[in-house]
Amino acid sequence: MSATASPVQQRALEAFYYREARLLDNRQYRQWLELVSEDIRYLLPARVNVQVDNRQRGEEHMISVERELEGADSMGCPIREETYMHLMLRVERAYKINSWSENPPARTRRIVGNVELMARGGDELSVLSNFHLHYARPGGDSFLYSGQRRDLLLENAGDFRLRRREVILDYADISLPTLGLLF
Amino acid sequence: MLRISELVNSDASLISRRCWTDQAVYDLEVRGIFGRAWLFLGHESQIRRAGDFVQAYMCETPIILSRGADLRIHANINSCSHRGLPVCRADHGNTRRFICPYHNWSYTVEGELSTIPQENALAGKPDKSKLGLKRVPRLESWRGLIFGSFDPDIIPLEEYLGDMRFYLDAFLGRFPAGIEFMGAPHRWVLDANWKLPVENQLGDVNHGAFLHSAIIPREAQDLIEELGYSVVTRPGHGATFRLMPVDAPVDEVAWGMEGMGGMFGGAEVQEYLRDVQANAAERVGPLRARMKGLTYGVYPNLSFLWSNASFKVSHPRGPGKVEYWSWAVVPADAPDAVKRVLRTNYSSFFGPGGILEQEDSEVWVQQFKGSNIDFADDRPYFYGLGLGEEAPHPQLPGLVSVTANEFYARQFFSRWRDELQAVESGV
Ligand code: FES
Ligand SMILES: [Fe+2]
Repeated sequence: MSATASPVQQRALEAFYYREARLLDNRQYRQWLELVSEDIRYLLPARVNVQVDNRQRGEEHMISVERELEGADSMGCPIREETYMHLMLRVERAYKINSWSENPPARTRRIVGNVELMARGGDELSVLSNFHLHYARPGGDSFLYSGQRRDLLLENAGDFRLRRREVILDYADISLPTLGLLF
Repeated sequence: MLRISELVNSDASLISRRCWTDQAVYDLEVRGIFGRAWLFLGHESQIRRAGDFVQAYMCETPIILSRGADLRIHANINSCSHRGLPVCRADHGNTRRFICPYHNWSYTVEGELSTIPQENALAGKPDKSKLGLKRVPRLESWRGLIFGSFDPDIIPLEEYLGDMRFYLDAFLGRFPAGIEFMGAPHRWVLDANWKLPVENQLGDVNHGAFLHSAIIPREAQDLIEELGYSVVTRPGHGATFRLMPVDAPVDEVAWGMEGMGGMFGGAEVQEYLRDVQANAAERVGPLRARMKGLTYGVYPNLSFLWSNASFKVSHPRGPGKVEYWSWAVVPADAPDAVKRVLRTNYSSFFGPGGILEQEDSEVWVQQFKGSNIDFADDRPYFYGLGLGEEAPHPQLPGLVSVTANEFYARQFFSRWRDELQAVESGV
């Protein structure tokens, strides 16, 4: 399962993520959507405070992040599990005059890093990255979103398309104005 | 000193800004409403097995809701009898004991004090039977919905719900095995007053055309309003819904079809939903089979959004903060794969990341700011739209009107006013 990226490939992946970040922060959401494969799954698992299991005492799994997630395969309820259609709705909404929660429009700035190729299978790459996203709202409020993105990218002639993204947000209690941003 | 009679006028068409912001009013709400009402705690599907527990709140008081070894339901305040720490930290789980971190007093899942480690070293043995967690004095459930009350003398839950049961059953009774809640609630904290989410979900259908016009097309909203009814069964309890024409095609009536999951989730899901609708008349009668719900509210702070399949509770955290909880609800007998699709009827548009609800969250916060400004206290909010236009109906219990009539909110505030006045005057 593990894979090592060549320096060229690592630079290509990072360049892809930098471009993506720039498009999102510049509110060029339609151009961002062009980086997305039409069979995308865009997921944001819910994160819960789980019970410590006595039998797992001393084991790594006892405090694993995975245990805290209610994701797409669980019988819990992820916060978002979206398709291309959902993303289109979000993207087009941004250009309407009555998208009130982003009026004035979202002022975001994100730093993406820790880009790590985890696995490769055919033309599909499994890639992790971290982000810090600063979001300023009118009224003096600003918010920090921190998280990990677990992506599946489709590689085609040196370029990439996003086929699956799972956003692991580092929250314990949600006191952020919306989790509806494009992370 | 504010007097409640000055905050809400006699027909509740004028509502003071202070209702939303004043600490003294909030303190009265805690005692006069949350101390005396039936408050929603959870659904039986969340605690099926002996030892299962979930966290809940009654206003700001943390509650452990659990299924005992005796398979009965228990509700206790999550606070140790020794120094007050919460004895349970997990959102949900299954256990035999809750162990307090500080000195390890341990409690059974029913809430009894089981052990005091320190007592071995001492001659005097405290009477453990008196030192259990504080029990919620009244606990009852109806159709799987569990409610608790701090008032030992409160009327039975079924009587409290009254005719609201007619409307709740149009949904709950539709499914052969009832409903279940999926997973932990989504909880998010907003700088808003708890009553506005409640009012929004009690009957404010008509903001859809405006606040949500980036997503909801005008024609869709017109159709909703054309077929829409708003009812109040008792002040504070209300429902809005569409009554579909007798000859409407099954796909237009069936619950779940209008959500993203129902629309695009595949044939298995749609077959399941059509099946439910095919048996709806038999299960809930011909009139309620034609009901296609919108918003529901149960006083004081439980909401149910039929169209997007979620139960919600607006938990106050002081006058200017609310912790909003919402759960996806699905039919209990649906296959797992169908449940996983149907939960997206909720999460696609609602919840902390919802395309629609992000707009609602925003206006709830802005309304609190507006309520807090100076030099506007002589301008109470206008709640007079449709004043007196509601009336009884031959088939639908309660007072009935069109969805543009804000009587649901006036009724809520007249009950709110009366209950606060009762505690204000020491009744
Ligand atoms: S505070 Fe709970 S054991 Fe001491
Ligand atoms: Fe809304």
